[in-house]
Amino acid sequence: MDTVAARRYLAAYRVCLRIAARQATTYRASFLLSSLIALVGNLAFPLVTVLIYGSGAGFPGWTADEVLLIQGVFTLSAGLSGLVLGAVVQVTIDRVRQGTLEVVLLKPVRPLPFIALTGVQPESAGVALGGAVLVACAASRSVQTISVGAALSFVGLFLAGLCVMAGVVLVMAATSFRWVGNSRLPEIADSVQMFGRYPMAIFPGALQGVVTFVVPVAMVGFVPASALLGRSVAGAWPAAATCVAFLAFGVWLYDRQIRHYQGVGG
Amino acid sequence: MTALPLTQHWAVMRAVSVVTYKEWAAYRTHSLVSVFVGPVYFVVQYFIWSAVYGGTDTLHGIEHTQMIRYFGAVTLIGYLTMDFADWNLSMLVRTGRYLTFALRPLHHRFFALSQKVGHRALGFVFEFLPCLLIFVLLFGVDMRPASAGWLVVTVVLAFLMGFYLRYCLGLVSFWLVDSGGLRGVVTILSGLFSGALIPLVFFPHWLQVLQLFLPFQYTLYVPAMVFAGSYDVGATHLSIAQIVGCQAVAVGVMFLLSEVLHRAAARRFTDAGS
Repeated sequence: MDTVAARRYLAAYRVCLRIAARQATTYRASFLLSSLIALVGNLAFPLVTVLIYGSGAGFPGWTADEVLLIQGVFTLSAGLSGLVLGAVVQVTIDRVRQGTLEVVLLKPVRPLPFIALTGVQPESAGVALGGAVLVACAASRSVQTISVGAALSFVGLFLAGLCVMAGVVLVMAATSFRWVGNSRLPEIADSVQMFGRYPMAIFPGALQGVVTFVVPVAMVGFVPASALLGRSVAGAWPAAATCVAFLAFGVWLYDRQIRHYQGVGG
Repeated sequence: MTALPLTQHWAVMRAVSVVTYKEWAAYRTHSLVSVFVGPVYFVVQYFIWSAVYGGTDTLHGIEHTQMIRYFGAVTLIGYLTMDFADWNLSMLVRTGRYLTFALRPLHHRFFALSQKVGHRALGFVFEFLPCLLIFVLLFGVDMRPASAGWLVVTVVLAFLMGFYLRYCLGLVSFWLVDSGGLRGVVTILSGLFSGALIPLVFFPHWLQVLQLFLPFQYTLYVPAMVFAGSYDVGATHLSIAQIVGCQAVAVGVMFLLSEVLHRAAARRFTDAGS
């Protein structure tokens, strides 16, 4: 994608965001309730963490605030990726099942950015906001001082984590071209992402390698949070490169699988 | 509208459940998603609790092996009792298709219950059995219940409890234009307070006591505790017979509530013909 096309898509995204925001303000009560539900749904895991530490137990070597920081970073990442790609899986599943993807394919734009742009989910802003608040609270209690290096590492690794979130979404959406009408595909993504919500030390070494370098969901919550805490994670930056490759794989797979779409005119 | 004789109810349930089974069996690979998702969640829970129990033998009176068995039981019982009657009924009301049920000489709730029987029979074959085999053979979890008889009774009651709870929720669609928000709230509350994420004994004492009067624990936590062979919540210890009795009473109350709501809802339904 060249720079001009990227600018056009960015401009189109701003318009779609504006439309989504206006729709949200039209149905304010529904929007607020949806945002609240999405937020509370994402905060269930931090609540479990609080209950575990409240019972006097915990993850060895990790304080409650440090684990909450991991889960806050994960929630923030889920909210931000949801703002951009939140509806891609469901829209793709629905259009493939209903046979209405032609309507998108006939437009003079690439299907994937178009589906992403028109499916903006403003309620994900609530999740992102909740995640940001959790990060701020947990970091203020667990991090004494944040060096410039740690902050920059956090930003870089957090962006890598966003690539993973996007890559997972695209792989699931691409799968729907072959596994038609399966509304449970997001469950697969949710289950795999569970590994990114906890300290890696609780998993065996081989599994740590898989979720850091193969399906790098550890990069979503654990690795960026560790950077903020000043804890070094071996292979973090090579894993960040894997995240970019994972996103590229997701885009490639989506574009490849869309060729298998069959319809009879929308 | 005349009600069907009781003797015909069994035939109706069998017919509806068989048709539902066949309808959903066309998408049986969708059910097989659980064969991946269930064990993955279980593995995560296994490592979480193995780490948490690293420095202690028991937490709230639960040993490590009991905790692993708990999450195995919760996963498997969830496959037997899962319900979306609220979504179904809400869709029927919103689209006006409920009219076709209002005209039939059959209570819609019974029709929906029969559908659930067929749907969960499919879940038994394509979700419960494969995951049970994975838990036992691959992960080596002891999934033998403390009392098979009581477990069957409590799972049947949990099946009914989940259905009546969701059906009552679906009935709210007769009053609200869009009940999706309320259904979302109840889904989250149910996830937290049914014990799916963590045993209820980890909650603060007052919240545990509150659960005795809410329907959520009767859908999952109670059957999981009956599976384990002992029930404790809010510093209250009940025998298996006592808690299953409480569960039966709660199911009865929820049934009555669904009937009251259904009668009130039927008076509100408006449609211009389908």
